[in-house]
Amino acid sequence: MVAEGRAEGDPAYGEYLANECTACHPPDVTDGVIPPLWLLPTDYFIDALRAYRSGERENPVMQAVARALGDEEIESLAAYFADLREQKGGS
Amino acid sequence: MTRLTRRGLLGTTAVLGVGLMAAPHVLRAQSRPKVVVIGGGAAGATVAKYVARDSKGAIEVALVEPKETYTTCFYSNLYLAGWRTLESITHRYVNLVQKYGVVHYRDMAVDVDTGKKVVRLASGRELPYDKLVVAPGIDFRYEAIEGYDEAAAMDMPHAYQAGEQTALLRAQLEAMEDGGTVVIAPPPNPYRCPPGPYERTSLIANYLKKHKPKSKIVVCDPKDKFSKQALFQDAWQRYYEGMIEWIPGELGGRVVKVDTKEMTVTLEGGDVIKASVANIIPPQKAGWIAHRAGLTDDSGWCPIDPDSMASRVARDVYVLGDASIASKMPKSGFAANSQAKVVAMDIRHQLLGDRRFPARYRNTCWSSVADDDAVKVGASYKAGETMIEVVDKFISKVDEPPEVRAQTRAEADAWYESITQDIFA
Ligand SMILES: Cc1cc2nc3c(=O)[nH]c(=O)nc-3n(C[C@H](O)[C@H](O)[C@H](O)COP(=O)(O)OP(=O)(O)OC[C@H]3O[C@@H](n4cnc5c(N)ncnc54)[C@H](O)[C@@H]3O)c2cc1C
Ligand code: HEC
Repeated sequence: MVAEGRAEGDPAYGEYLANECTACHPPDVTDGVIPPLWLLPTDYFIDALRAYRSGERENPVMQAVARALGDEEIESLAAYFADLREQKGGS
Repeated sequence: MTRLTRRGLLGTTAVLGVGLMAAPHVLRAQSRPKVVVIGGGAAGATVAKYVARDSKGAIEVALVEPKETYTTCFYSNLYLAGWRTLESITHRYVNLVQKYGVVHYRDMAVDVDTGKKVVRLASGRELPYDKLVVAPGIDFRYEAIEGYDEAAAMDMPHAYQAGEQTALLRAQLEAMEDGGTVVIAPPPNPYRCPPGPYERTSLIANYLKKHKPKSKIVVCDPKDKFSKQALFQDAWQRYYEGMIEWIPGELGGRVVKVDTKEMTVTLEGGDVIKASVANIIPPQKAGWIAHRAGLTDDSGWCPIDPDSMASRVARDVYVLGDASIASKMPKSGFAANSQAKVVAMDIRHQLLGDRRFPARYRNTCWSSVADDDAVKVGASYKAGETMIEVVDKFISKVDEPPEVRAQTRAEADAWYESITQDIFA
């Protein structure tokens, strides 16, 4: 289980995987329809990816992204973005 | 010559100024491994930024790119529609230089010695490298269409390398009388951006319908089918009925000859079309320098190792983006940016011993077809034994509700902002 605001993945692996996300997700808040990822609370982030992966949440783009992620990858991404949030001084 | 040298020097000075303060190990400048990147497009600029940023100054990165600014081909069709300005799709290398310490040589690479590991620039300057990244995009096979060459492209623009060519095509569309005929000639496979000519057809029709509704578009195609065909043809039917005629290869659609004085286009089937505006997109091959460096095979493109985009021909050389043979991955800006991240990781692993992870690639191509309507296609890829393989893919559906299409249109805009920041910010 993942504690609130923390994830057990490998942040270095997460950093590499996150390079894929930045093709679409912006580094900062914009008025566009794709949010910056470090803003999302860790549990919400993990749940969203699982929901895309299972097909419960729609959007073919994110479903394809999530289907290419195992649990280890999702945890690692979560750990990386949690670190980034800390660096950015977010909550 | 003097000007080029001065630019080089200025670039170096600027980097030392920032780099020294940012990273103390820059002091050991002589011992730093050197990466030279040829081409500052979606592929090369991403590699330059990622290697420089993530090695924190431990690798010296030189970017060889003659242009001061880069106008993206992606979203250039939106400029042709009149939706975007040229400035809004034009980007500078200033962040790469000032934030990450990349040295930008505003020069052409004219030769590569992969044995001695040196790149020669037009100015005569020689850049030695430990790893070379070749990302020059495409060149045209001008010999394929009688009467079409670089000079003819000033009368019948290809607009397939963005900037001046795109502006020219837009100006011709603006100057055209209502009731004119626009010829669009897509190239044969393989070529840059498979849906590009058909998105362009949709968006030129969008402009004409609003401003010159009596005009027509004739698409003269060497192919019998094309990317997202059902989606495009459905959109043409719904939004631009009667405006677009598509002549496939099997009906003699291939352009064999052009006459820029008469403004005529001759098709394989024998038809001669008088054009008001002719957008001729010739067959393509890897950028010239890739041939010069001996990195191409008989196909005219560069074979690569699917796990790293390393050249199959020369050691310590990577080829990525449109110039490479990435098998099922299309020649797209998205794909080029995705490949660049694998290349950057492999370079840091090889030169610094940083961790290496399995290669993963992705592509997504949005195509706008009308004001609030876009479609998308995409896939995930992995490195197979001999080539890059598809893991998973998706495509928009013909009967999607308007809200989904409007959301897809909005996604495309968000993607454009993010990817251009990912490359240039
Ligand atoms: C109309 C159109 C629409 C498109 N739409 C999309 C889209 O929606 N999504 C998408 O993902 N892709 C799209 N693309 C495709 C995308 O533009 C290309 O796939 C992408 O630009 C390839 O990147 P690259 O870095 O390989 O080549 P390029 O972007 O062409 O960059 C190559 C660079 O190398 C430089 N260069 C060449 N030779 C030398 C040399 N000898 N020395 C130094 N520098 C050199 C050039 O000046 C150039 O800047 C579109 C293309 C077109 C034409
Ligand atoms: C090809 C573009 C693209 C890529 C690549 C991409 N995303 Fe997304 N992402 C989107 C879009 C579009 C949405 C909004 C989807 C929606 O409306 O449900 C989204 C939404 C999300 C959300 C939900 C956000 C929210 O506010 O609920 C998460 C979480 C997410 N993405 C994570 C990721 C991660 C992690 C990666 C990299 C491994 C990634 N995405 C890569 C396009 C992309």
